[in-house]
Amino acid sequence: MKVVCDRSALLDALTLAQGVTAARTPQPALQCVRLSATPGSLAVAATDLEIALRIGLAQVDVKQEGDAVIPADKLLQIVRASEDATLTIETAKTTMHIRGADSHFKVYGPEVKDFPALPGPAEKGPTCEIPAGSLRRLITRTIFATAVENSRFAINGVLFDRQGRKLRLVATDGRRLALAKGECGSGEGEHRCIVPTKALNVLVRLVDDPEAPIQIAADQGRIRFTVGIGEDAAVLTSVLVEGAFPPFEDVIPKDQDKRLAIDAGELSSAVRRAALLTNEESKGVRFSFADRTLTLSSRAPEMGEAEIHLDLDEYQGESMEIGFNPAFVIDALKHVDGGPVTIELKAPNKPGLIKQGQDFTYVLMPVSLP
Amino acid sequence: MGVRTCSDCTLASRASAQGAVDGRQMPIRRLPPLLVNQIAAGEVVERPASVVKELVENSLDAGATRVRVEIEQGGRELIRVIDDGAGIDPEDLPLAIAPHATSKIAAAEDLEAVRTLGFRGEALASIASVSRMRIVSRPRGAETAAVIETEGDRVEPVRPAAGPQGTRIEVRSLFFNVPARRKFLRGESTEAGRIADLIAALAMAQPHVGFTLTQDGRAALEVPLGHSARDRVAAILGRDVAPELLEARSGDEGAWVRVWGLVGRPSTARRTGRALRIFVNGRVVADRVVLHAVREAYRGLIDPTRHPTAAVFLEVDPGEVDVNVHPTKAEVRFRNSSAIHQAVHRAVRAALRAADLVPEFDLGRGGSRDAERARGALPSFVTGSEPLSGAGPAGIEEPGSAGGPAAAVGSGSGSGGSAAAPYGESDDLLRRAAAALRSGSGGFSTPAAFAPGASAPPSTHPGSPGAAARSAVARGVRPPIEQLPIPVAAVRVLQVHDAYLVLEDAEGLRIIDQHALHERAMFERIRTRLAAGALERQRLLLPQSIEADPGRMESLARVGPLLERLGIDAEPSGPRTIAIHALPTLLFERGVDPVRFVEALLDRATDSEESPSEEGALGDVIAMMACKAAIKAGDRLRAAEIDELLRRADELERSSACPHGRPTTLRISLRQLDRQFGR
Ligand SMILES: Nc1ncnc2c1ncn2[C@@H]1O[C@H](COP(=O)(O)OP(=O)(O)OP(=O)(O)O)[C@@H](O)[C@H]1O
Ligand SMILES: [Mg+2]
Repeated sequence: MKVVCDRSALLDALTLAQGVTAARTPQPALQCVRLSATPGSLAVAATDLEIALRIGLAQVDVKQEGDAVIPADKLLQIVRASEDATLTIETAKTTMHIRGADSHFKVYGPEVKDFPALPGPAEKGPTCEIPAGSLRRLITRTIFATAVENSRFAINGVLFDRQGRKLRLVATDGRRLALAKGECGSGEGEHRCIVPTKALNVLVRLVDDPEAPIQIAADQGRIRFTVGIGEDAAVLTSVLVEGAFPPFEDVIPKDQDKRLAIDAGELSSAVRRAALLTNEESKGVRFSFADRTLTLSSRAPEMGEAEIHLDLDEYQGESMEIGFNPAFVIDALKHVDGGPVTIELKAPNKPGLIKQGQDFTYVLMPVSLP
Repeated sequence: MGVRTCSDCTLASRASAQGAVDGRQMPIRRLPPLLVNQIAAGEVVERPASVVKELVENSLDAGATRVRVEIEQGGRELIRVIDDGAGIDPEDLPLAIAPHATSKIAAAEDLEAVRTLGFRGEALASIASVSRMRIVSRPRGAETAAVIETEGDRVEPVRPAAGPQGTRIEVRSLFFNVPARRKFLRGESTEAGRIADLIAALAMAQPHVGFTLTQDGRAALEVPLGHSARDRVAAILGRDVAPELLEARSGDEGAWVRVWGLVGRPSTARRTGRALRIFVNGRVVADRVVLHAVREAYRGLIDPTRHPTAAVFLEVDPGEVDVNVHPTKAEVRFRNSSAIHQAVHRAVRAALRAADLVPEFDLGRGGSRDAERARGALPSFVTGSEPLSGAGPAGIEEPGSAGGPAAAVGSGSGSGGSAAAPYGESDDLLRRAAAALRSGSGGFSTPAAFAPGASAPPSTHPGSPGAAARSAVARGVRPPIEQLPIPVAAVRVLQVHDAYLVLEDAEGLRIIDQHALHERAMFERIRTRLAAGALERQRLLLPQSIEADPGRMESLARVGPLLERLGIDAEPSGPRTIAIHALPTLLFERGVDPVRFVEALLDRATDSEESPSEEGALGDVIAMMACKAAIKAGDRLRAAEIDELLRRADELERSSACPHGRPTTLRISLRQLDRQFGR
């Protein structure tokens, strides 16, 4: 194999691929990338056996076809540190030569056959197409609500729920739930699956052109995202999370009788400040809603207390107090658009709702107040 | 009780044998008075020590300022109690030994607020029925004394006699007429040990009264009259323990419950509960509520299998405590036991909290310090040349102790002249070192990194003085200065093996077990929070269900109120399922699986046989929570997390052990380092 490639394009591809390689593994090949040169293009691939990523590079001059497997971090460091516009990569057996204007690196890698085969295209399952920007928005508006920890609550993934062209993404950690709705450019039939958060984090970073289309194809055990078209396309394949997603529609309350609108930025700032005086065992911030005012208060024993007042343009319903984990509120407000959000409530021990338009719904369970 | 008493009594067993031969029910008869008293004696008088207790309590009730107790052959042959109290009028002498006769209460109301130790009018009658008794008494102001003698149910008429003011009661040949009982007495030395232990307790209860105990003519204990409570406790527990005692106090003058006590630093914890004494209104009691409160206060500071050294005195409004619940008055019942628990816990905890309890890491020569202590540890009340070493059950319960049972009081065989504190382990260097070697530590279980091989440089000289004790690390030696806050933002903090933090302080080095420290901090926080109300709970979007067998269902019902306080909202949601609706916020913090947590909690409640007091269960559950919610060994910490951990630890208290009793912090002083490096 011998290729001359544009350094910055290679750097981008390697950076993304590095994010896929397994962090700790007894299989050294899983910490490597595979370079495959075919006429007119070079593909960079990495996998941790659950996720596989293959990025096509068109800005290459393939002198000789072939494959090479090389430790991802070393190659990345070399490419990153280089100041050349192009680099020449050539392999002989398991040795890779990387040459710049004034440099020559020799790096040893494992045998090509040690690199696991990447999964083929998903068997003809339901497919759809969606602009990259739209999908990215759906993902960022939900993925934050997945559970970080590996507990029984953790649904370490986001539900993709598609009916025709309507696509809903849902994520929850058992205490709050985020739902975002979007529209596909095309889509047949319906499909439901849970996509691991790690895959989605990689996917989001693959998007640089929001207008580029993403093809989604899925079968029983896998999902495949193809970002872009042609030589430059990147293909991300991931196993699906098994198991049932909680019945999220039942969780979204429908009979909230208290309603108000408030500017997301203003509320976010107020909650952030109130959260300064909370601690590990008592996280709750008290939200006191009354006619035209919202008072946030918090107290950390032995530390102090905080109180913040906000004016409300409108508040429909009786006054009430409810406690929320401020981090949960801030999380949601961080991912909505600027401008107003709607808050809907019912009772101190019942879920609260934060909505923005028709597209974003966030359910959060209260904490007890002292 | 009745069955045992009858089988002990020859008359009764003979009668029942007869009934059995006839094959007919025996006619109902009134029992002869002697038998009635003997049956009563079965409850009151179990062993020589019970006789001593009743007699000495009578002396104290009579206002004695000095009480002298003499026993022979462990009290089986002779118990003599001499006091300088008010005395008994000659005409009252027959009454004194009559059952149900007392000068201390007159009506039922008096029982509500008993201020004397005795009140039943039963003790002397019971004792007289199972012994040969002689009472010589001269009331205050009287010219002469009078004497009365009894043997079983035979009572000699009262005769004038000569004698000093006060009362002198002799009890000989205890159980001479109840052979079965006599057979059940333990060896002389055991009985003698119990008596010594009892007098020690009574002497602490009444610090101003002088006590002398002689056993077979040898002085075993002597404390002067007019002691302060502190001096008395120190005198009894031993001079070496005295400087390790912290003062505990709660309740103002006039409060219905007041607590005062002297509680030992964690290093004074013992293998037996002998040095943990509870007194309620001048009574020696073994009250479970109070004992539990004291132990709880030591939770995390000592190995849970050891017992604190502490003398805790409660003054409780007599109306708030029922003293008439136990045949030998060894127990009392509080009207409001949780308030009592709280008062005791708070007092002891505060005392411990105020002290710096970081144990010094023993690099090798700590043993010599202990040796010096052991040499200086002559019990202060030993008057004769005979040390009281190994006296009392402490010497008996510890196999391998220098003296063993044979070294009991009065046997004349001390433990090679190395005297020891009488109520607990002796400070004998070799024995402690041996124990330390066995357990790998001086009582705490030591983290593996500090195991002997890892800490002691190979170049130490075996056989040099103190070598045996070299591995006795973490012995809980008090650091020389009192206030040592953990320096927050310490310039150099090092996390090693993602498990320990090493930092510099004014004294040298501190080594912190990150899990143990965080766990301890969490424990304290949760406890403080709980005192103020229920823990904050986070509701779940959807209830989580647990499968429940009938055992779990039953424990759910039992621990319901406890769960409530902890912020766990769980209820049955079917015949075999429990639904969890809310969980404490803090459990989510470190990714504890709440379902598994609740399962474990319920299973633990199922396993514990008796329904534990809520306070007891609470302590266990908090410990469990703290452990689960704490940083683990193996967690790499960011600088900010380390700072936070240290800040929180310091904010809470300067303590040295996690709730499981493992140390959280050890210190290597500069002095020790210098010595190790031969500077
Ligand atoms: N050492 C003593 N000095 C003065 N009076 C005594 C002494 N010992 C006993 N008495 C008198 O004898 C009475 C009977 O004593 P006894 O111990 O049998 O009963 P008590 O102390 O009243 O009640 P209890 O059975 O609870 O001990 C006492 O009430 C007291 O008046
Ligand atoms: Mg009495």
